[in-house]
Amino acid sequence: MNKKLLLLIFAVSAFCLSSQAQDTIKTTGDAPLVLSGSVDTYFKTDFSGHGNIPTSFANENSSISIGMIDLGLKKSVGKASFVGELSFGPRGQEQSLPDGSNKADPIYTPGVSSYHIQNLYVSYNVTDKFNLTGGYMSTFIGYEVISPAANFNYSTSYLFTNGPFQNAGFKATYTFSDKVSLMAGIFNDYWNTYQSLGGRVNTFGAQLTVTPVKNWTAYLNVAAGPQSGTEFDLTTAYQITTAFKLGLNYADFSAPTGLSGGFSGVALYPQLAVSKVVTLGLRGEYFTTKTGTWTTTAGPAPGDSVTGLTATANIKTGPLTLIPEIRLDNSSKNTMFTDGGGLPTSSATQFVLAAVYAF
Amino acid sequence: MKITIVALICILFGKVTFAQQDLLSFDEHNKYIYYQVADVPGLSVDTLHTRGINFLKAYYPKIKLKPVADGKNIAAEGKFLSYGGTSVLKHEKGEVTFTLNIEFKDQKYRFWLTDFVFTPYQRDRYGNFVPQQGIDIPLENAASKFEKKDVDAYLDETGAFCKQFGDRLKQFILNVPKKEEVVKKVVTDKW
Repeated sequence: MNKKLLLLIFAVSAFCLSSQAQDTIKTTGDAPLVLSGSVDTYFKTDFSGHGNIPTSFANENSSISIGMIDLGLKKSVGKASFVGELSFGPRGQEQSLPDGSNKADPIYTPGVSSYHIQNLYVSYNVTDKFNLTGGYMSTFIGYEVISPAANFNYSTSYLFTNGPFQNAGFKATYTFSDKVSLMAGIFNDYWNTYQSLGGRVNTFGAQLTVTPVKNWTAYLNVAAGPQSGTEFDLTTAYQITTAFKLGLNYADFSAPTGLSGGFSGVALYPQLAVSKVVTLGLRGEYFTTKTGTWTTTAGPAPGDSVTGLTATANIKTGPLTLIPEIRLDNSSKNTMFTDGGGLPTSSATQFVLAAVYAF
Repeated sequence: MKITIVALICILFGKVTFAQQDLLSFDEHNKYIYYQVADVPGLSVDTLHTRGINFLKAYYPKIKLKPVADGKNIAAEGKFLSYGGTSVLKHEKGEVTFTLNIEFKDQKYRFWLTDFVFTPYQRDRYGNFVPQQGIDIPLENAASKFEKKDVDAYLDETGAFCKQFGDRLKQFILNVPKKEEVVKKVVTDKW
C-alpha cells in the first residue's frame, strides 16, 4: 500500500512539474542573450588534380578540410543592443580576416590583426525609425557573405572574393516606410581591417533599401574612398513563390587613387525548393577585370573575363545542411587555369561536398 | 529499486505530457483558433469596449487596430516572436502573425485569435535574425514545411501566447488591483 501511494505521489508530482514548466514559456519581455553560429567542414576536388578556381574558401584540394567555428552573441535591452561574432579556423581567420599571426597571409601586415572578430558593434534605436550603429561590421556590399550558414552555395563568387568583407565605421539608418530605408555612414580608409591604416576615416558608404512589391527587396549600395576605391553594387532577391527564389548581384568597382582599372560583374541565383528537405540552386556569374594597373585579389588578369556556372543542392535535416556542389569556370583567355599536366587551359571544374551545422 | 525506476520514468514523461498547443482548437474553416467567452457582471458594453482598447494600448502597443463597422467591437492584427523551444541558449526562430477579434455585449465579451502564420527567421550578415521574405506558412500547413519537433514547439508557443493574452485581458477588464507587496521593516529603536 505504501509503495503504491509513493508511486501515485510521484506521478502526480510529475504532471504538476510539467504543467508549471510549460506555464513558464516566456512570450514577452526583454530578448534573451542570443548565442548563434555554425561549424562547417568539406571535401573538395578539382578535376585537374590540383587547385584551380581561386575564389574564397574551400581552398584545400583533394582533402577533407574545415571551414570555421563561428560564434555570435547578441543582446538587446530596450533601445540598445550589441553584437559580437568570433570565428576560428581557416575560413574564419586568414581567409576572411586580417590575421596578425599568419605571415603567409597575402595581406599580412605586422601588428594588424582582427583578433578573430567578424562583427563587433553597438547599436541604438533613437526612434522606431532611426538607428545608429558603430563598430566593426560585415560589409553591406554584395550578395554573398562569409558565414556558410547564410550562403546557399558553398564556394563563393568572384564578386564576393574581390569585394570588401568588413567595414569599420559608423552608420545611421532611417526607415521611411516598410518599403524604403536609407543608410549612410563613414568608414575607415581601407576595407577589412578594424583600424584605419593611414589614420583616416574617409570612406563614404550608403545603402538604399527598397521593397517594390511584397517579397522582393533590392539594395543599392555604394562605398567610395581614396584608399578603398569606389564600388557600386546592386543586390536583390525576389521570393516569387514559397518554393522559387531569384537573386541577382551586379557590381562595378573602380580602383583607388593612384591605380587604374577595377572590376565589374553580374551573378544570377535561381533557387527551387523541390521538397521540405531539398533545395536546388544555380549560380551563373560573369566577371571581368578592367584594363589598368589594379589587379584582382583572385580572378582573371586585367582585360580578361571569366564565366562561372555552379550547381548546388542544400539537403537539410534539422540544423545540419549537406551541400553537394559542382562548379565549372571558363575564362576568356587560356591563362587563368592549368590542366592535369600543368599546361595553361581556359576552364576548370571542381566538386565540393560540404556539411554545415547552424545553431 | 523498482519504485525508483518508475518514479524516474514518471518525472521524465511528466515533462512531455502537457502541451500548450492543446489550448488551440480548429474552427469551422479548419484553422487554428483560440476562443474564449467571459461573463463580466455589472459592466456595460461601453465600459467593456473602453477597457478593451486601453488594454491593448497598455499591454500590446504594437498591435494594429483595424476599422470595424460598428464602434462596439475590436479587430486587430499582431505578431509575436517564436523562440522555438525551451533551450537555455535560444534565438528567434521566427514570428507568428495573428488576427484578433474582441466582441462586447452588456456584461460579457468574447475574443478569439486566429489566422496564425509562421515566418521563419534566418541570420543576416550582421548577426541579427531577420524574417525570411516570402516564406509565410499558415500553422495549419506547418507540418508540410518543418519537422514535427519544431512544429510542436511553434504550436506550444502560440498556445502559451494566447493563454497569456486571455489571462491579461480578463484581469484588466475586471480591473483587479495589483496586490501590494508588504515590505518587511525592521524596527531598530526597540530591542
